[in-house]
Amino acid sequence: MALTSHPLLSALRRNPTGAVLIALQIGITLAILVNAAAIVTHALQKMDRPTGLDTRDTFAMEVADLSRQFNVYSASSADLAYLRHLPGVAAASVIVGIPLTDDGGTTTVGRLPESQGPTITSAYLPVDQQGLRTLDVPLVAGRDFRASEIRVPTVAHPDPRIGIVIVTQALANALFAHRSALGQSIYLGGRTPSTIIGITRNFMGPQLGGGEHAYDTVLVPEIVTQYAAYDLLVRTQPGKRAVVLREAKRHIDAADQNAVVGYTWTLSHAKYRMYSGLRNLAVFLSFLTLVMLVLCCLGIFGLGTFNVVTRTRQIGIRRALGARRRDIVTLFLAENAITVSAGAIFGCFLALGIGQWLTTHDGLARLDPWYLLVGVAVLALTSQLAVWQPARRAARIPPAVATRTI
Amino acid sequence: MLEMHNISKIYRTDLIETHALREFSLQVAAGEFIAVSGPSGSGKTTFLNVAGLLETFDSGTYKLDGQDIRGLSDNARSRIRNEKIGFVFQSFNLIPDLDIFDNVDVPLRYRGMKAAERTARIANSLELVGLSSRMRHLPAQLSGGQQQRAAIARAIAGDPALILADEPTGNLDSLMARQIMDLLEKINSMGTTVVLVTHDPELARRAERNIHIIDGLVADTVPASGARRRERQGPAHAESATD
Amino acid sequence: MLGYYLRLSLRSFRRAPGLTALMVSTIALGIAACIVTLTVYHGMSSNPIWWKNGELYAVTVNPLSPSQTRKAGDPAYGSSQLAYDDATYLSGSGIPKRETVLAFLFGAITSTPDQTRPLPVMIQATTGGFFRMFDVPFRYGGPWNAAADRGPEPVMVLSHRENAKLFGGTDSVGRTLLWSGHRFRIVGVLAPWHPLPRFYDLSAGDGGPFGRSADAFIPFQWGPTLRDWPAGHMSCSSQGSASSTYQGLLGSGCTWIGMWVELPTRAARRHFRAFLQAYAAAQRKAGIFHAVNTHLWTVSQWLSLHHIVTRRSGLLVNLAFALLTVCLINTLGILLAKFLRGAPLAGIRRALGASRRQVFAQHLVEAGVLSLAGAALGLALSAAGLAGVRLLYRGSAAAYGKFAHFDPIGIAWALALAVVATIVAGLYPAWRIGRRPPATYLKSQ
Repeated sequence: MALTSHPLLSALRRNPTGAVLIALQIGITLAILVNAAAIVTHALQKMDRPTGLDTRDTFAMEVADLSRQFNVYSASSADLAYLRHLPGVAAASVIVGIPLTDDGGTTTVGRLPESQGPTITSAYLPVDQQGLRTLDVPLVAGRDFRASEIRVPTVAHPDPRIGIVIVTQALANALFAHRSALGQSIYLGGRTPSTIIGITRNFMGPQLGGGEHAYDTVLVPEIVTQYAAYDLLVRTQPGKRAVVLREAKRHIDAADQNAVVGYTWTLSHAKYRMYSGLRNLAVFLSFLTLVMLVLCCLGIFGLGTFNVVTRTRQIGIRRALGARRRDIVTLFLAENAITVSAGAIFGCFLALGIGQWLTTHDGLARLDPWYLLVGVAVLALTSQLAVWQPARRAARIPPAVATRTI
Repeated sequence: MLEMHNISKIYRTDLIETHALREFSLQVAAGEFIAVSGPSGSGKTTFLNVAGLLETFDSGTYKLDGQDIRGLSDNARSRIRNEKIGFVFQSFNLIPDLDIFDNVDVPLRYRGMKAAERTARIANSLELVGLSSRMRHLPAQLSGGQQQRAAIARAIAGDPALILADEPTGNLDSLMARQIMDLLEKINSMGTTVVLVTHDPELARRAERNIHIIDGLVADTVPASGARRRERQGPAHAESATD
Repeated sequence: MLGYYLRLSLRSFRRAPGLTALMVSTIALGIAACIVTLTVYHGMSSNPIWWKNGELYAVTVNPLSPSQTRKAGDPAYGSSQLAYDDATYLSGSGIPKRETVLAFLFGAITSTPDQTRPLPVMIQATTGGFFRMFDVPFRYGGPWNAAADRGPEPVMVLSHRENAKLFGGTDSVGRTLLWSGHRFRIVGVLAPWHPLPRFYDLSAGDGGPFGRSADAFIPFQWGPTLRDWPAGHMSCSSQGSASSTYQGLLGSGCTWIGMWVELPTRAARRHFRAFLQAYAAAQRKAGIFHAVNTHLWTVSQWLSLHHIVTRRSGLLVNLAFALLTVCLINTLGILLAKFLRGAPLAGIRRALGASRRQVFAQHLVEAGVLSLAGAALGLALSAAGLAGVRLLYRGSAAAYGKFAHFDPIGIAWALALAVVATIVAGLYPAWRIGRRPPATYLKSQ
């Protein structure tokens, strides 16, 4: 092996530019491949997080006031009364802000009045007594809101303060770390404290759906009446969503001349849309990386083929001197291996550099060395495959070429 | 036509300096036919490259057709090659994917001639070498002798003052070689200076004057009144040609 | 001479058709990938009013100090809109050349008394300055005047789409529409106008920042006058939770109003900044604000602040250029090999009198022809690629697909990139061929 690798290196040394270019390509491709893989994996993991919701059987519809004359409370109560008796409906609730749509309210939450301590921005989800049941989110501690606790602002009592809330586990942990949050007081964007009466399993609220803090939501017992619209959230029995949605929309549109159904959302569609940017990025990135890999292999293949043609005589002489076909194939593969190794070393440094840049600029996790290993393996394999055909062609050169003049 | 005085040419690599030409002096008059010979490695090819402006030299003076070559830009040298010098190589050096017509066309293109004039010149020179009927053949479709004649046609198409022929018959059998030499003599008789580089004393003897190079130096010269005349008289010994 | 070089190039391609095809397709792939990415990026991150980037500023005054927000590095986090009191005060300065405030309302309008079912519409409540600041094009009529911003007369501007829906696209200026019990007189109808992203109000509507613009525009004061709750994004944080009455909303610190100012000169910018600072400082002194944290944002800053221009799309652009680099290196390698193999022929030409420049030019022409062929194929490929992108974005916001069309900028990019890339790739080999003394190649045969 030492004997065959020596002339090989000298061949590379004599015409280094081609090999250097191939190594450069391999390096860049490796660096991109590895980082793209890391980003795509990260995106897939993010999309794979549980929503904590029954996305298959839940939908929401926005009902809007057209006349400015109707009473949100009575209108929504009428709708809910209808919905809760509609066959196929498991639960229905009036809320503000549809989960997974990034279209809801936020509030600051702190353990101390705001000016006295740090706060967390959390999704703010007003629900009625059936809210949790409709969301299909179980409590892990404490209790649900009672019907009597749902505050309904009226002209006489514009700001009834009840002062109880339910929070998600994630928010409870963020606020109180290891201590139990149940029964503790928190401040929601204001000066009056609210008591935590329940803690739910994590689910994604109406805000920050795609973000890091997707599971931070605070639920308040309130029917919001001041807007000219309200959102109805409906969970159906399995498989009944489409039928119920159609029926409910028809009924509500017709029932009140002053109301119109605006947007309707299914939670599965909301989830699909929430991740569309991430998903498109992943597809795009994968595709570009694949194109890059193909290009790299085409380059190796092209130069390999070209080398066979230019070195026909040299190979013929080798054959005349007793080299077997296998030796010629090995020669090409070994040459490629040396080039790939050089490229891989350069690529590893480049990949780590890009990874570092992404970590500082894009908040991505540090590049896992496993990706590098796999990336090098993939490139080594594909590049050897790319040079295989030219090598075979070289091996077919007859030894008689050596005695021919050009 | 060609005046070289004390030309030196040194090739340097990391380890070795090779003095290919040292204090090399030679004068060739217009219309002369001279042969340059010498063993391999003596500096023949270097002389040819320097004379043909394919390479620069390190010291000395070189005048071609009265023009001092020293210090000319690459561009100017290309122009002189194009207009005043015609090359004939041992391996013909025809461009394989151009047919004979297009090969002869190459130097004329670089001279920037009009199409009509180019066509006329190509036709003339191909007729002179007897290849008019092979105009549209590719080099590979011709015999070695025909290829060399095509190369000669290409060399003379631009009407150069000097033909530099480097072992023009080296790749040919003796019959074809004789045809080529006849052709070169015919061109010489039309007034073009011919410098023939060869290691074959038989061929060298057909020239009017013989230059012998050894180790980059002019070793000896057969007087101008020498070789050719005696050639016509009959075979003569090389020894008698020396002074 | 160019014709001669072209002929020589074609001959050279014919001699090595496989290699030529490989180079052309390499260039085409690189170009296509680049165009597709750039077109998508251009669409996602473009500033729809770039020509006024240094003049238009979004105004924010954040009552929280940075330490009180979760994202400490993000000064406007949680409050990229203004509260009613702040907006009212800040828009009274008279410093900017033009200024506007805006909020989304949801409404239902009726065109004829016998129309039983009102038409739900997205209404942009704003001021007359809006149309002039953002260079909004009008089909009929024009913006309302300053008196209408204060005065009692209800006026309205319709979008092109809504006018087509209600009046079949005819000139409806002077006609009236019923909204919230008031007859709004139409003073203008817009020409089609869909800035993407909808930079001036990123807060709400169908499709968010990439959704459509409002269906109708009315003077801002009609929102408070009719006590119509804003339908856009609202954020209530430091100064009391959301109130249940409209009057309470106006008095609360809840932020729901967007504000833009046009400050064409440096002096005006400095002047307005000082005015903002002074206001925030006074509010802080009065104990209403926790911090003096005011900002003016250019449109492009505004877009990146709201992550419309994501770093991710920047990532794609970098990737596209990396890919182009690989293509370049690839082409460079193959061209180099090819040219060097043809070096003896170049040597012959040199001996026959071709100057360095002529040999160089011949090789560059060959590279150039390759690049044009690659560009042509690349254009075809990118048309296919963009069709693919449209397919990819089909399921999500409809507007995403809109920008993935083939625009002239893309074509210009393609040609420029292809030609420059290949010629750059061809430069080195061509230079190397021209540089060697011709004699080196003549001997070797």
